[in-house]
Amino acid sequence: MSSLDIMISASEVNKEYRREGAIIRALVDITVDIKSGEFVCVQGPTGCGKSTLLNVLSGLDLPDSGKIVFDGENISRSTEDRLSRIRRQKIGFVFQDFNLINTLTAVENVESPLWPTVLRNKEIENRAIAALRDVDLLERKDHYPPQMSGGEQQRVAIARAIVHRPRVILADEPTGNLDPETEQQVMQLLKDINKNYDTTMIVVTHREALTKFANRVIKMDRGRIASIK
Amino acid sequence: MLRLWKKAIILALRSRKRYFVFTMMYTALLFWSSYSLHISSVQTTTAVTSFLIAMGISIFLSLLYAWVITNYRRREIATLKCIGYTNRDCKTIIIGEILFATISGFIIVIEVLFHFVAALGYFYSAVNPSVPSSQLPLISLPAVLLTFGIFVSVQLIGILLANRRVLRVRPIIALKKVGT
Repeated sequence: MSSLDIMISASEVNKEYRREGAIIRALVDITVDIKSGEFVCVQGPTGCGKSTLLNVLSGLDLPDSGKIVFDGENISRSTEDRLSRIRRQKIGFVFQDFNLINTLTAVENVESPLWPTVLRNKEIENRAIAALRDVDLLERKDHYPPQMSGGEQQRVAIARAIVHRPRVILADEPTGNLDPETEQQVMQLLKDINKNYDTTMIVVTHREALTKFANRVIKMDRGRIASIK
Repeated sequence: MLRLWKKAIILALRSRKRYFVFTMMYTALLFWSSYSLHISSVQTTTAVTSFLIAMGISIFLSLLYAWVITNYRRREIATLKCIGYTNRDCKTIIIGEILFATISGFIIVIEVLFHFVAALGYFYSAVNPSVPSSQLPLISLPAVLLTFGIFVSVQLIGILLANRRVLRVRPIIALKKVGT
């Protein structure tokens, strides 16, 4: 595998938390490479460190030691503003609780990552409409999140994650609040985005059944990588 | 930057109750302060005391509004940071909302003053038709403008608090489950 194929590389990454006086080793000597265009599931029981790994890979949290190289750039010690810009240009986020802004319509929520950019308003609107079309939710563009079902809200959140055409989408338990049928639809949508746009997909889940969508499954246990298949 | 200011106004207007309550409070305070400032040349001690009380309340209100917005929007700020907003972008939205409420209060005060003048003119002329309009206790425009300037300056205290609180919001909060 050439270094050009690698989108995110973590080497010897460690992360500890202090909670109520006790030290919790959330990540222990994590070394993993994620290739460009790959669909990776990070799977494991609650508290095994999978969300911490996602946070560290995306620059939301900094490792105590070790190195994270994101698209050729070492982000282990980057400033907060630099990390924000990397996220704006290269990363899309999908959250378990959708995290849409309730006072904005669906299309405004999708547009929101592009507001601080230099793009023209018309271009922003066109991109948001295209993203909503991709998730098959264009007819709901003027609805507010509370007027939509959980599945629809998550599709809006996915549209928001793809509107700036990121290289990587990180999803933290994206189906955690959805019923089994919607869960499959959302996972299939993420898979389609991965295929159609060659977007690297990293999905954190505790549900083993969802790993069938992935090219590779990283199983975690007590802060360590138990296996990679 | 300009786009973010516009979005701050949209977010403020759509927060309805919060925006309405604070704008009305600013309106009342601006009116009270302007009136106190206007009559300070005649009843110096009472007017100055009244003006200082209004300023004190304004400072408290400014801090309260900044605290309420940043507290209510904590998760939204974290989400915005996750999707690539810098601290500066987030601050622009919060500060925009605070300033918009103050400016709205000022515009409403101007509107209220017209009605105030009309009502005073009507009642004075009904009670004593011989009183010329120049002797009506009107609030002068310089007093209103000066009060507005002072109020905007006072907002800086709230803005400083908002700045601090926005900086302290870590994007990681957005990934925590609701209620944790």
